[in-house]
Amino acid sequence: MALRTEELMLNMGPQHPSTHGVLRLVVTLDGENIVDVRPDIGYLHSSVEKMMEHRLYVQNVSLADRGMDYLTAMQNEQVYCLAVERLAGIEVPERGKYLRVIFDELQRLASHLVWLGTWGIDLGATTVFLWCFREREMILDLFEKVTGGRLHHAYFRIGGVYVDPPAGWTDEVKKFLDYFDDRVVEYDKLLTANPIFLARTKGVGVIGRREAIAMGASGPVGRASGIAMDVRKAEPYEVYDRMTFDVPVFTEGDCFARYQVRLEEMRQSSRIVGQALKELPGGEVRSRVPMTMKAPRGEVYARTESARGDLAIHLVSDGGEMPYRVKIRAPSFSNLYALSEMMRGWKIADVIAILGSIDIVLSDVDR
Amino acid sequence: MSVARRVNVGGRVTGAVKALATGLGLTWQVMLRPKVTVKYPIERLPVSNRFHGLLALPIDPETGKDLCIICFQCERVCPSRCIHIEAQGKGKERVLSRFDIEMDKCQYCGFCVEVCPTEAIVFVPHYESSTFDRSTLLYNLDELHRAAPKEPIATGIVGGAHRHNGHKNGTGDAGASRGLVPRERGGHAAPAHGDGAAAAGSSSSAGARR
Repeated sequence: MALRTEELMLNMGPQHPSTHGVLRLVVTLDGENIVDVRPDIGYLHSSVEKMMEHRLYVQNVSLADRGMDYLTAMQNEQVYCLAVERLAGIEVPERGKYLRVIFDELQRLASHLVWLGTWGIDLGATTVFLWCFREREMILDLFEKVTGGRLHHAYFRIGGVYVDPPAGWTDEVKKFLDYFDDRVVEYDKLLTANPIFLARTKGVGVIGRREAIAMGASGPVGRASGIAMDVRKAEPYEVYDRMTFDVPVFTEGDCFARYQVRLEEMRQSSRIVGQALKELPGGEVRSRVPMTMKAPRGEVYARTESARGDLAIHLVSDGGEMPYRVKIRAPSFSNLYALSEMMRGWKIADVIAILGSIDIVLSDVDR
Repeated sequence: MSVARRVNVGGRVTGAVKALATGLGLTWQVMLRPKVTVKYPIERLPVSNRFHGLLALPIDPETGKDLCIICFQCERVCPSRCIHIEAQGKGKERVLSRFDIEMDKCQYCGFCVEVCPTEAIVFVPHYESSTFDRSTLLYNLDELHRAAPKEPIATGIVGGAHRHNGHKNGTGDAGASRGLVPRERGGHAAPAHGDGAAAAGSSSSAGARR
């Protein structure tokens, strides 16, 4: 008599600690093998796009902080300010541009550290979590000294940044970078050769170049699959065209490649901050923009490279004090939809490793 | 076949042992480094000068009144619309009759502190404002006065009026475009600095409002 088998539908989340937020995964299983994974999103929908239509252009900076990806607050401010400045034709002073680049890259470091730490926990390595958060704390302290905030800064302004960093801040950043470069070597030593880590990540959750492009994957997920695209190089904003840095691209498309891309990005970010500090010009940090500024009628599409990928805003103005429509292109959202492609055919135990490797932030997915 | 497999297993075992030794060696090294953690409620780390803590309305020591000139700029710029101001009287007699801040709505963006022309609204470095009752987070004029530091001005990033008091930022002219100059909070003035000062800080700011 043949044994009757059937597929099992398993609910993971929305309260599962490893889904990095409130995400529900509907996993269809055949025994231990994954047949299909369907992400169910919307639990963290904050309606930030609609809220932006009811706030002044100036006020929206603080909304972009928290309504979008909360781990890369400065980069959200960056893309929003970039869109408004392009639409209204506002110039940013040189010093403001350099400070923006410094904060963008420090934010990328902070975000990648959270990712590496939490992914380590997902894979059962507690040490790396503690180490990463130790370094991230230093970055947050550096932020706090300048912006007053640790997670949500409201530091960028349309036409520049709020104020100059306090005296001696740049030296502290230089000191931190020296310290940090050694720490990246340690993460590398701890994880890259570890056989348990390799067994759980190498060759797991592969997504090919074609599939990644079809799913709209960008950022580290795309670059791990061989998409050599970085907005900082392809469409430089602020002063990225003056910075020398490499964009790591791997072709394996597995979890390990995504890890390697992010680790190398940390080194490159540190390099960019170092250069920007060296070239940091004097002068003003912001140009004069009235509190009730109006943008001319029209629309604009501004894209930036956030820690998670291609973060863009499509902003439409009807000539008033508030935006008519704001559409946020969230990198986490597109990367999450590459998930089903990555998961198919792997075992149930790999779900967490693969999900963690794409580095989603649910407030970015749901907006 | 079996020989080849045994060799393979041997290689994997030595690799694993080597990796384990490297990893554990590293963790032992790190264990011997200075400790970075603090036992939070007992020990506290000092916050920076520009920290966005609770909002407060300082009283002008010369006149004994608040510095607010009732221009409604902070009320207008607040993205969460959590500031409510009402005034009474005309001309020189004009006084604040209501200044409420709904601290549960506040998102600590600091726009109100930025636009204030007289430094009438400032941040105090107090961050432990959790409560069991949401209604206690509605701060009225008296509570905002009491929350203010006793020293003349103790704020991080402030607006225009008292600029001549001296600022110590790096490049001097940086914020001049909008009359915005960051000023460092006086070392003694920050109530929530360190553990000893934290007790004093909470008695003057949060203690006053339960």
